[in-house]
Amino acid sequence: MLEINGINAYYGDLQALWGISMQVNEGELVALIGPNGAGKTTTLRVITGLLKPASGSVQFHSQPLDKIAAHKIVELGISQVPEGGSVFTGMSVLENLELGAFVANARKVKDQSLKWVYQIFPRLEERKNQRAGTLSGGERQMLAIGRALMSKPKLLMLDEPSFGLAPILVQQMFEMIKEINRQGVTILLVEQNVRAALELAHRAFVIENGRIAGQGAGENLLSFESVRSAYLA
Amino acid sequence: MLQPIAQNLVFGILVGALYGLAAVGLALVFGVTKFLNVAHGELLMLGGYASFWLFSLWRVDPFLSLPLAIVSLLVVGAVLYKLLFGRMVKLAEGAKIQNTLLVGFGLGLILQNLALRFWTADTRSITTFYSGAVWTILGVRLPVVRVASMGIAFVLIVALQLFLRRTYTGKALRATVENWEAATLMGIDIQKVYLLSFVIGSALAGVAGSLVSVGYSIDPTMGMSWTLKSLVVMVLGGLGSLTGTFVGGLILGVTEAATGYFFSLTYREVVGLVLFLLVLIFRPQGLFGAKEG
Amino acid sequence: MSVKQIIFIILVIAILALIPVAIKKDNIINLAVYVLLYVSLSSSWNILGGYTGQTNLGHAAFFGLGNLATRFLWLSGWPLFPSLLAGGLLAVVFALLIGIPAFRLRGVYFAIGTLALSQILYITVGNTLPMISSLPAQDLAVYQLAPRYYLFLGVALLTIGTAYVLVNSRLGLGIMAVREEEDAAESLGISALRHKLLALTASAFFGGLTGGAFAFYHVGYYPQLAFGPEWTFDSMMMAYIGGVGTIIGPIIGAVFFVILREILVLKLAEMHLIVFGVLFILVVLFLPGGFVGTWGRIRKALARRSAQPEPRALPSNGRVDSIVDPLAQDEKRRLPIK
Repeated sequence: MLEINGINAYYGDLQALWGISMQVNEGELVALIGPNGAGKTTTLRVITGLLKPASGSVQFHSQPLDKIAAHKIVELGISQVPEGGSVFTGMSVLENLELGAFVANARKVKDQSLKWVYQIFPRLEERKNQRAGTLSGGERQMLAIGRALMSKPKLLMLDEPSFGLAPILVQQMFEMIKEINRQGVTILLVEQNVRAALELAHRAFVIENGRIAGQGAGENLLSFESVRSAYLA
Repeated sequence: MLQPIAQNLVFGILVGALYGLAAVGLALVFGVTKFLNVAHGELLMLGGYASFWLFSLWRVDPFLSLPLAIVSLLVVGAVLYKLLFGRMVKLAEGAKIQNTLLVGFGLGLILQNLALRFWTADTRSITTFYSGAVWTILGVRLPVVRVASMGIAFVLIVALQLFLRRTYTGKALRATVENWEAATLMGIDIQKVYLLSFVIGSALAGVAGSLVSVGYSIDPTMGMSWTLKSLVVMVLGGLGSLTGTFVGGLILGVTEAATGYFFSLTYREVVGLVLFLLVLIFRPQGLFGAKEG
Repeated sequence: MSVKQIIFIILVIAILALIPVAIKKDNIINLAVYVLLYVSLSSSWNILGGYTGQTNLGHAAFFGLGNLATRFLWLSGWPLFPSLLAGGLLAVVFALLIGIPAFRLRGVYFAIGTLALSQILYITVGNTLPMISSLPAQDLAVYQLAPRYYLFLGVALLTIGTAYVLVNSRLGLGIMAVREEEDAAESLGISALRHKLLALTASAFFGGLTGGAFAFYHVGYYPQLAFGPEWTFDSMMMAYIGGVGTIIGPIIGAVFFVILREILVLKLAEMHLIVFGVLFILVVLFLPGGFVGTWGRIRKALARRSAQPEPRALPSNGRVDSIVDPLAQDEKRRLPIK
């Protein structure tokens, strides 16, 4: 479904990604794991068009994404939850969710989508008229994911959804992510929390220093230093 | 004894509504795009002249020609955006504010001198058959034209707020202000949002100018003082609050009136600027804005 | 500076000094006076606005204050040079008084704040001193243009010379560090405030001095005139069009401006402002660095044609400096807009 080939990306003159290649198949839950600063967020930004790569290609359902403007990516069915959630704090929960369905196709089925999101995240329905800025960290993350779901994505990309959350919330968060995947949404999960990511994912790519160091499933990845240290820590 | 004070205050409120309207236009543009268009006053001037010529040449009533003024300033705004301001969208915020300030300044100079060249430096005003109409309430004179202008300003502000709060496009605008990257991820086209804000802001300036031309007077050099007033009000009201900005306009109007009455006309003209500096230094978030976190 | 450059400068100064001697036409000398006036005003603006990166929209305040003080003192009987000095100093005092609170305002707020300040002065002076200031009859009788010319020449040379020395000193490095990245400079131990105040002082002093020279020159005028915002705006535009942040930029800009005005005034007065406005916008949007910057780019392009490959460029810092650095990059923060 999603194919990334040989991406080289720069911030100014600084190279951040070196020949990144990945694939995500329909229905999968794929994790992209690696230490801080390895290039995980950068990879996501290249996919959504917020950062243009110097070379390489990104294809979604065999359609190349490089000529498409960033704000059109969501129309294709790719939705991203950025790091930290990035909810619109000055607006209500409901308004945030509504904005998630901004694109024309999603707007038509907005009410249905809302029902779906409330089903997965009942807490959001309780707080729907509250200002997003007043929500707790965990709730904001839920809102961010819910908002991304409102566009009825085929591929949902999550950038460190567990970041800064208390452990019990992390558990719940991953349960919900699993549920979303079960309901048919393909997921690309970027995580520093290696343990949880590996338990959740069908497959994982390990990224280190801007390069894909390898891929595999679960224990097969223990040979990687970064993975191992997560388990020994 | 009380009458002159009340009269002055009323006049202050009436003109303050127009200050507020103009300032809201500037605040909208600045809030969304971070463009500081210091040619805002010249756009206001153009609106005023549009109404004036429509009236002088074809006898179109200035209140009836408001929609025309709006449309023409929408077009002018779009042209200016495409030609000039749109090119600065991609700059980092600091440079964006700086460069738009400079470009706006050059633009204002051009517009002012073109106006001087084609329309002469004469002060103009629109006088209709109802221009002299005055309501008198409790001994205070209320010129009908100015009251109507204030009403229109008020309606426009309310309409703007409704637009921002109730419509999808309006919410997209607000989202862009908060976090343009997240907004892009939702499918919001930032270019269009920027253009829309700029155009609406320009139109609001144009309407304010039209109202000034019928209730007060216009001339080609009025641009800078109105830009400064808009800036003063914008800072007074605090960025991020359009209603606060409008109220800031009323406050400026009243403050000017009071200063003029209790002190002198000289001080009336500078009190706004002095207030501006004081607010900038001691309360930069304005009277209604939220403190930066 | 090479020997060639020094000789060139001396030649130029010599030629300038001989103008009143060689050319007896008053209108040409007046033109030259205005060129020199704008050179000083623009260069003094440039010290704060160009080199230090603090866009000062209230430069006219310095010009006006220097003008006011000098005029008043000189017409009261003081000798010329102390009056001039007093003018410059008044401007400095004012600058320092407002400088400390003003510099707390970052970026654009500083620009608008300075504009507000100078407008306050403009309006206040206009209302409190509405009468024309005229040269008394006996002074009028012995009025000679040449001394005025030489005064302006002296002020211009002094301003440019000071700017040159300042820029090439350690202080100059500090000033430009503040302009580029204020917080980074602070972390290196460079006191941003002190450097800004220093630049402000120099800018104010020479602005005031120019105003004082103007007081000596002008026969009859409203005191409010010297506070008019057009003095600031014209100076700023000249600096940008010539090349902001360079020594020679304001000079080029000033010459260009005055000559253009002369040419166009026959056809349509004030048209030169429209032309200038357009040029100004073009410079800001497309030709950063004005004449100087564009010329530099042309030379580089020509050199590249006939040269070896250039050494790899140093990494850019990701900021946009289109106003002052013609060759800066801005990759980092581009919005993903096609």
